[in-house]
Amino acid sequence: MSDESKKEAMKQLRAERKSSIQKAAATVKQQKKELKLLKEHLTGDGATAPEIAEAIGINVSQVIWYLATLKQYGEVVEGTKDGCYFKYQLVETDSAEAA
Amino acid sequence: MADGQTITCDALVVGGGIAGLQSALDLADQDFSVVIIEKDLSIGGKMIRLSKVFPTLDCSSCITTPKMASAAHHKNITIHTWCDLKFLNSSDGIVRAHVTQKPRFVDEDKCIGCRKCEYACPVYVPDSEQGGFCATKAVRIPFSNAIPQVAALDPEFCMLCGKCEKVCPTGAIDYFQKPVDFTIEAKTAILATGFEMTTIKGKPQYGDGDVQNVITSLQMERLLAPHGPYNRVLRPSDGMEPDSIAFVQCAGSRDKSMGIPYCSRFCCMYAIKQAMLLSGSLPLADIIIYYMDIRAFGKGYEQFYQNAKAMGIQFVKGKVANIQQADDGAVAIRYEAQDGTGVTTENHDLVVLSLGVFPDWSPKGICPVSTGKDNFIQTVQPSIAPTLTDREGLFVAGAAAGPKDIVDSISEAGAAAMEASNYLMALGK
Repeated sequence: MSDESKKEAMKQLRAERKSSIQKAAATVKQQKKELKLLKEHLTGDGATAPEIAEAIGINVSQVIWYLATLKQYGEVVEGTKDGCYFKYQLVETDSAEAA
Repeated sequence: MADGQTITCDALVVGGGIAGLQSALDLADQDFSVVIIEKDLSIGGKMIRLSKVFPTLDCSSCITTPKMASAAHHKNITIHTWCDLKFLNSSDGIVRAHVTQKPRFVDEDKCIGCRKCEYACPVYVPDSEQGGFCATKAVRIPFSNAIPQVAALDPEFCMLCGKCEKVCPTGAIDYFQKPVDFTIEAKTAILATGFEMTTIKGKPQYGDGDVQNVITSLQMERLLAPHGPYNRVLRPSDGMEPDSIAFVQCAGSRDKSMGIPYCSRFCCMYAIKQAMLLSGSLPLADIIIYYMDIRAFGKGYEQFYQNAKAMGIQFVKGKVANIQQADDGAVAIRYEAQDGTGVTTENHDLVVLSLGVFPDWSPKGICPVSTGKDNFIQTVQPSIAPTLTDREGLFVAGAAAGPKDIVDSISEAGAAAMEASNYLMALGK
């Protein structure tokens, strides 16, 4: 496919998937905002999920979902235990910065 | 593969779970050519998603992965994943199947499974392979030991931002991929379509999925798996390490109100297995199994049950009446104990429902093979030849014919392969 025809085909595909693209874009915007807040509270000794949730005003179940995800992608590590909860810390790497 | 292509082989295996893989390997080792079609993005079925198996507590992945790899590398086996079976019939010694392979939006031949696309993708989506407890990306390798190790893009969550395409070193991303229809012509087929579990939402008395920290047994498998979402067992509502965990047996089976009056046959054993694994990972936690009766009927199963009791796992005989949210994310279970203590309510940090089992595939309108009252594929000689269906040349293996555990599924898969082999020999392959 030539560059010109691909550009045209992509334009058409974007028009076909307009609704799902808009939905995905809104999700990404929200996720980026929440992740930025979450990462700001993961510096230093780290924090537990309820502590982060209280600090940033996001539901704690959503916080643990993000933490598990960031852990899967190597951006967060589990730290020491604080009562029944584990603390989580940010990993300062190139991949974390890129994401 | 080209649209409209016809593939010929000796045997078609429908389903790439443990039963399908075993049947395919047994036939391929006898020098028959086999094609496996699988509905998921990876072969391996339910078993590859489990933590350990009972009663040996062997690592499930360590058993399944070599079989998956053997099938993928076998010279006589061809695997097609992400497929929908549209039509299957046998007549005059020919089995004909019409299959649609759904688009991955990634070129299977070009993808090298490097996951660069996954890391570059900005969209986090719930990871069903991890029980929804964490996220994956809109384009991803399905799970770490998936076969084939080929990425797939979910168009529902894709923004067409182009980041994956930009980082792919082999140019494998193909936003314009279309479904491919093809035909398989074989001499015989084995149906190994497996089972699915009822949802957590099916029973209002058990919270209808709205009670936090009530999870399914397959979700617990992910929590127990070493490569699970948290790499340890935590409560999904807040990340707390649970102190008290309960299992509710027959939560979707032996229950006419759920439309599943039959026993799921393996729930008692996997609940005991999970309880034992929890006892190992959380030694101070209270672990309770609420049951109607324990069905430990296989080799070594009764001893496994007795070992669990000796480890301190509590078994409470009584049908749970209802499950409700309690304070601080706890779950209140109300039940009538059969020891005469009457109606009691107990709070737990985490509750696991042993849900019902039903067939994962219905042949209705696709294949003229008969099903029983329970909707599983009917076997015509269940006592002496449990893999025979009522269609000549079509055999059944594993949970497609009824709920059964891994051991029975593998033995039955071997039997189905033998029946298919005999059938092929009689045809004069």
